[in-house]
Amino acid sequence: MNKNILALVLAAGLTACASVPEGAPPDPRDPLEGFNRSVYKFNDTVDRAVLKPVAQGYVNVVPSPVRSCVRNIFANVGDVMSALNSFLQNRAHDGINTTFRVLFNTTMGVFGCFDLATENGLPRNRADFGQTLGVWGVGSGPYLVLPFLGPSTIRDAGGTAVDFLADPVAVRNIDNVPVRNSVYGLRIVNARANLLEVGNLLDQVALDPYAFTRDAYLQRRASLIRGARSEDAELPDYSLPDYEDDDEPADAASASGKPKQ
Amino acid sequence: MVCLDKQVIALSTFRRGFGWLAASLLALAMACAGAAHAQAPGSPEALVKKVTDDVLNAIKSDPAVQSGNPRRLLQLVDEKILPYVNFEKTTRLAAGRYWRQATPEQQQALVKEFRTTLVRTYSGAVSAVKQQTAVELLPSRYPADATDVVVRTVIKQPSGDPVPVDYRMEKDGQGWKIYDVNVLGVWLIENYRNQFSQQISQGGIDGLIKSLAERNRQFEN
Repeated sequence: MNKNILALVLAAGLTACASVPEGAPPDPRDPLEGFNRSVYKFNDTVDRAVLKPVAQGYVNVVPSPVRSCVRNIFANVGDVMSALNSFLQNRAHDGINTTFRVLFNTTMGVFGCFDLATENGLPRNRADFGQTLGVWGVGSGPYLVLPFLGPSTIRDAGGTAVDFLADPVAVRNIDNVPVRNSVYGLRIVNARANLLEVGNLLDQVALDPYAFTRDAYLQRRASLIRGARSEDAELPDYSLPDYEDDDEPADAASASGKPKQ
Repeated sequence: MVCLDKQVIALSTFRRGFGWLAASLLALAMACAGAAHAQAPGSPEALVKKVTDDVLNAIKSDPAVQSGNPRRLLQLVDEKILPYVNFEKTTRLAAGRYWRQATPEQQQALVKEFRTTLVRTYSGAVSAVKQQTAVELLPSRYPADATDVVVRTVIKQPSGDPVPVDYRMEKDGQGWKIYDVNVLGVWLIENYRNQFSQQISQGGIDGLIKSLAERNRQFEN
């Protein structure tokens, strides 16, 4: 299994570099752009050929209440690591809430089949170890697209590995191999099915889906970490320092878009 | 809600004769009412609330929009959202330093095509609107004389996590106008800047306009 993934990564890496758009200014956050674009393309191909059709079939065949139960059970299991990470991020309040969510949903919600906690005003609060590292002050490092898993950074990839290995209710603890593989498969199909509603939005709205995904991912992660550190959101500063050909001063002033607060 | 409770307490205490307590509580309630300028007509919060409620109601009551009919959707955006959005500024900031290199005609074309692109972003969102979908205002902090503010909201869905959506607004001659939107921590303009500069460095301003227009045509047909 691992060998196969490695082979795929290498195969993807071989076609790298050719796909970086010519003439575009390189993004300092994405020095591995050539490699990343190849993996992105690979993921996209796998998604179109296998994942998306399978997820669509799952939605068509399995009734909605069952899918909702499956979604909730996986999410409830995921809440365990969220609770741990919330404590690690010094967010005891969220940690206690999430712990309570797990206890409540696992018992009253029949092993997490029903998300009664959300219905009773205790919404889900996700937290992962990549985010925890960010809260601790670890920089994100270069942007990285992981095979099958999608957008990440060097830091977040490490965080994903830790979350995977540390998870006390991990699927890999299931001893029966066929059962374990089925659960893995169901988890992937469930995750993809949850995204079906978004549809082809990315293709429709993005000029370059790769850049769109990257920029959104990096912005989102930064905002999650700021939120976990209870820092005030920083407003983007769209002002331009280099107006050499400034022949319309009035317009330049309004174009600066600098917040006056 | 809190403010209302205090007013009720104040009135009932007054009847019992604790004049001084009532007076101070009333003063508190007044201060509260002052702080609640959020809902005052003309405030950026009131505008956001009005626009989002109008749009939600329009979507909920129009099956053509919900099924993603592009013509009806464009009409809805033109009527309910466009008057309160400064698309020119959104486009200008997304284009960044390239904006000044564009002729007025190019600028106009770019604004038009980018606007249609953004409307298409809506098409994905409207199908997710359920009858119970609601928008809630979150408290915002900014000085009373601010002319560039952020109004924070959260979209609540019957199932699924609440989605935080923030609106960046600027006060101009005709009142407040939205020029940037943040969904789940991602600012719209910031997310298009790289793509714009990429397209412009490959094919110039016309290349960017053409690229946007091509995608838009696919959607409209």
